[in-house]
Amino acid sequence: MAATDHREPNKGEVGYSWLFFSGGRAWYMRVVVALLIALGGAFYVWYTRHSGDAAPDSLIGLAYAIAGTLFLLLAAILYALRRHARSKRKVGQLNGALNWHIGFGVLGLAFLFMHSFGNFNPRSGTYALYGMIALVVSGAVGRFLDRLLPRLIARQVHKALTAQGDDRIENISEKLQAIVVHNSQNLQGFIPVPGAGPHKASTSLVPASGPVSNDFPFAYKDQPLHTPWDLAYISLEATPQELSREAGQYRFIPDKKSELARPGALMPGAQEHIYELQEVERAMQREQFYRYVIRYWRKFHIALALLTLGLTIWHLIYAAQLLLPTIMH
Amino acid sequence: MFKTGLKRDANTAVMLHKTGPQVAQELHACIGCNECLHACPAVTASVTIDVLNRETLSGPISAPVAQFARACYQCGACVAPCPVGLHRDAMMMWLKVRLLRSG
Repeated sequence: MAATDHREPNKGEVGYSWLFFSGGRAWYMRVVVALLIALGGAFYVWYTRHSGDAAPDSLIGLAYAIAGTLFLLLAAILYALRRHARSKRKVGQLNGALNWHIGFGVLGLAFLFMHSFGNFNPRSGTYALYGMIALVVSGAVGRFLDRLLPRLIARQVHKALTAQGDDRIENISEKLQAIVVHNSQNLQGFIPVPGAGPHKASTSLVPASGPVSNDFPFAYKDQPLHTPWDLAYISLEATPQELSREAGQYRFIPDKKSELARPGALMPGAQEHIYELQEVERAMQREQFYRYVIRYWRKFHIALALLTLGLTIWHLIYAAQLLLPTIMH
Repeated sequence: MFKTGLKRDANTAVMLHKTGPQVAQELHACIGCNECLHACPAVTASVTIDVLNRETLSGPISAPVAQFARACYQCGACVAPCPVGLHRDAMMMWLKVRLLRSG
């Protein structure tokens, strides 16, 4: 028991769970938002039952409109200002601002919904309300994606890294390289190339005429070396087993009649490595896609906010045209 | 290197995450100015940069750091303010993979 107690603190936190709860100030904000919506909703129910003037342009309707617009403006402005503030922020302050951004957004939508009093005529106000519903829903979907997609990205990254944290593509490529080298060296031993003697090999490396560079490893004092010391190493002759680097797929299984069909002649596993490599490639493409979704959903939310702002301004102008003459007289 | 048909250029799959050695290099280059944490909308006040750096690469992960890693949504807001051009989002991804592998 004592040993278990000793190990537990060293183990630390484990698991990347989908569901987790963050305490702290976010809960206070949620309680405040829920209370305000409950109060506004209770008053809405009471007012619609006991008053004959339950309309968007009534005094209470206008109060709901002003409150809802104020909350939405707070949601839009406070978070944007906090994000772009040049003054020194404290760690965690932006998280609090984001929580209030969500809270004010939900509050604004609730109060503007109550402001409508169920009148969904095809007017500017209805379009503005639809815009706000879409905006808040896009924010909620964005929060869900913010929780979902990083976990999917982590799974793809897990596939693309080795247990030691190295690049798995490099790792597989090295293994494939070793297989290709091994197999092509074996092939050199199996298939004698007619006429591919030492002289041919050397002449294919060193030009017959023209200056020979002193840096060239197979030349000495401007004279080409005609007796290469390792033909298997320096020969540039393409072997049938060598991989075609331009081809889309590779064939590692030799002809059945070939000497290479003998068990153990070629190092197996190349095809499995190719499949593994393709799987890693797909994982990286999925990772890239998820990152694009995170990035562009945020842009979509901002675009929707601008659209809703335009619709709201349109509705405010429309409402002002109706209300101002009444107030003036 | 052996050519596999996986072109790692701008047109196809690109290396978006970082490997363990790259993360270690970035962690060593971190000057601890806290700018990434100031710009982060996911972090709560209970995480400090030195604890985060210490626990990112290896060793046990404390509860506040694990909670931060679970809350981080890879928005990339931490990258731009870094005065030495490090990628905190990649370091956080490494932490997430560690949590994923441990769970």
